[in-house]
Amino acid sequence: LSDAAETFRQDAEDAVRIVSGLLRRGEGGEAFRERRRRVTWTANEAGLLAPAFAEERGTAVRLRRGRESLLVARDGDGPEALREAVREASRRGGGSPFLKSRGLERVGAEIEVPRGDEEERAVQLGAALHRALPDPRGLSLALRVARVTVSRVVVTARQLVTCGTVRRLEAAGVLRRGHAARPFAFQTSAPWAPALDMFGRALADAARPVPAHRVTEGSVNVVFSQGAASVFWHEAVGHPLEAGGGERGSVLTRVPRAAVAPPGVFVTSDPTRGDLPGHYLADDEGTPASPAALLTDGCVDGQVTDRRTAGGASNGHARCGDFRRPPRPRLSNLVVSPGRASREDLLAACGNGLYVREISAGHADPESGRFTLFVESADLVRKGALGAPLGPFVLTSDVLTALRNLHAESGDATHPASGLGLCVKGGEGVAVGGASPAILIRGLTAVRGRP
Amino acid sequence: VSAGADDLLDRLLANARCDTGAGESAEAYERRGTSIEIVEDAEGSRLSVVGERGFALRLFRSGRTAFAASPPDAVDGLPEAARLLLGRARARRGVRAAGPVAGAGASALLAPHAPDEESARALLASFRSGLLAAGEGAVSLSEAILTTGARTERVATTAGRDVVFGSETTTLVATVTGRTGASSASARLLASATRPEELSLAGLAHHAVDRVLLPLRGRPLAPARGDLLLDPTVAAPVVGRLAPAFFGDDGDALLASRTRDGRDAFASPLFSLVDDAAVPAGPVKAAHDGEGTPHARTVLVSRGIAAGRLTDAAAAVRLEQPPTGNAVRRAYTEPPEIGITNLFVDPSAGVPPLDLLRALARGLYAAVLLSRPEVDFPGDRFRLHVAGYWIEKGRAREAVSETLVEGRLSELLRSISAVGDDLRFVPSGTGGAGSPTLFIPKWKGA
Repeated sequence: LSDAAETFRQDAEDAVRIVSGLLRRGEGGEAFRERRRRVTWTANEAGLLAPAFAEERGTAVRLRRGRESLLVARDGDGPEALREAVREASRRGGGSPFLKSRGLERVGAEIEVPRGDEEERAVQLGAALHRALPDPRGLSLALRVARVTVSRVVVTARQLVTCGTVRRLEAAGVLRRGHAARPFAFQTSAPWAPALDMFGRALADAARPVPAHRVTEGSVNVVFSQGAASVFWHEAVGHPLEAGGGERGSVLTRVPRAAVAPPGVFVTSDPTRGDLPGHYLADDEGTPASPAALLTDGCVDGQVTDRRTAGGASNGHARCGDFRRPPRPRLSNLVVSPGRASREDLLAACGNGLYVREISAGHADPESGRFTLFVESADLVRKGALGAPLGPFVLTSDVLTALRNLHAESGDATHPASGLGLCVKGGEGVAVGGASPAILIRGLTAVRGRP
Repeated sequence: VSAGADDLLDRLLANARCDTGAGESAEAYERRGTSIEIVEDAEGSRLSVVGERGFALRLFRSGRTAFAASPPDAVDGLPEAARLLLGRARARRGVRAAGPVAGAGASALLAPHAPDEESARALLASFRSGLLAAGEGAVSLSEAILTTGARTERVATTAGRDVVFGSETTTLVATVTGRTGASSASARLLASATRPEELSLAGLAHHAVDRVLLPLRGRPLAPARGDLLLDPTVAAPVVGRLAPAFFGDDGDALLASRTRDGRDAFASPLFSLVDDAAVPAGPVKAAHDGEGTPHARTVLVSRGIAAGRLTDAAAAVRLEQPPTGNAVRRAYTEPPEIGITNLFVDPSAGVPPLDLLRALARGLYAAVLLSRPEVDFPGDRFRLHVAGYWIEKGRAREAVSETLVEGRLSELLRSISAVGDDLRFVPSGTGGAGSPTLFIPKWKGA
């Protein structure tokens, strides 16, 4: 899809005129074009099985008037799909659109067929699997590995705005060893070769036997690794600060400017971080991407917004899963400022507790502030030193208590989180990223089990 | 979606240029769909109108397969894309294009009818008023999402299959908040049916009220030994989580280990598990699966004994049995895979749920699930976080705001001593999972 954005630009003049002719006084709106290409391999312990190639192309026309909004979506990303969507939007929303074109022809409508490099990638992926699982005896693997490329543009009444082209490697599935099964999820937007290395390392870690030692249920002090901390921030602070949380808002939006975390904690949703999966140039309404401060020096500072929730003051976080869905305020890359502590300092401060290496999933209820984190990999901490590895368990608490019990000092380095993949909200997934230092939180509740 | 028909699918199949002498075959697939989604929340109302048309091609050669999909404007590139990927695929027995279906004849694939926006809005208004009435001022609707749509599909293969079929689906997602004094609880509830008018709005409203008010009005209960009565809305999600054990031949080892190669029963003799796309109360109603195979009624567990598997065409060949019609296409961009239609516990031997309640000497009636059930089939464990009522001699003594029901999954299934006749479905996986009320006497952790 290297030239998808260029293809979109070919009829930009006509498209802008059509969108501008559609909008009536007092109405906002835009057109949205998306091209998504996905090469998927199913894999088991013996190697790669059935390959699948899919290309999706879609156009959506969106209108907003007061408290009402309309979206009309059609397959295809060319001029005809746009006209068809505009006709339907006009029929439902009123108005008589201007559909005449200057006859600018689109080229590049044909499918971009996978070429020889796709075969080469398959070989490299197979080799990465083999390196990750050199001895798969006793292991059963059901994985889907996909290379995804998504290109998007927004056509406003004034211009065509390029959201960018995002490439990422995704993997999801289940690993079984005996009677123990564990979910596996991985995502990175790193270039192909390092992405494969990261994938292989994550898979090798996940394939280790599940420790028999089980967590002691109850209140516990927890040191989160960099990757695990990214999931905590995403669930506990990010989701409650997505605008549009209903009439009561969230546990954090109800206390604007309040100091909820120790001084020195800065949390930002930053779509401009090109090294993280939640990167884009402009959001899905065409607003330029910009960092949105969520916590500043430990105080609640802002929310991520779109045009529906903030009008012209949108901070560029309108995101949709695909062209069929309306955009909503969603997180991008949650970036947390580092502190000065080493991992050993945090373990010493923890005393007795847990060191969480990997969290496979989590969810939060923004209104009540309750959050749950599903831990896949963790070690006991005894007298400030790492102890026995633990089987899977669940950590839960509420946001305000957890932030209040956050240790004042955090780790001295941040690292992109590979376990943070698609964020699903209301059944709609968007790619997100995170970069956080290791952190220590006291008094979380540990519960045995896995959903 | 443009009306009428063209020859894109036939052209796609012809362009696949299969060398049948070398064991090659192909399957072409077309889908047309239209849907509307209405979202009503505190910020207003959103309407989405989606029309789609897409194509897919599967090439088969000597047990290998490759898949390619695109919208109509790029369909000519699919054979080349699939052929290029085919070289890297691994072989598996049974993988080939399916043959003709009895009674099916080729016909044009027309665009499905457009859903009615006005009746969808009326249904949402009706649900809102029903919920407010049932909640008696203590419950509000934060967000309601109604999605309703229809699609038509065609599957044609070089082995002679050519089938056209259609289906409809409606889903209601409601975020409900309950308040008593300073406390509040929210929950997201789902219901699905073929058509909007088939949604049980009154039942959903009452369930929603219980879901958000029981945790606020009752007292927590420590797990204690006693009888256990599982409401259909609690039992059905657990039933849905059993499904993967019956997917083709992939779950064989797991199922064999759970039943000691069939020497042990899977469940109590009162427990029969069935998948049936034609059961009247089920949310799925369809004549064919994603490969064009007619759906069958498949008994997976018969009176407690594991008896069947859900298959697509390839798994059926490997298991040497007729295909059950359970190849599901979630989207035209994804190859078909084995999934459920309406998977349910057969209630034909059931009794009225009130009789089960009266038979409960001392124990818990689990009325609502408070979180997603934990069901670990390989590990033989389950954990349900529920609210309900403590029952003594068939009468509710007090409301239970939360408690845990947990233990061995096999023990739960083998201890069922009675089932109700009140089969209800919840959305699950690729279809719906259903159960009547289940009675488990003297459960150690209820």
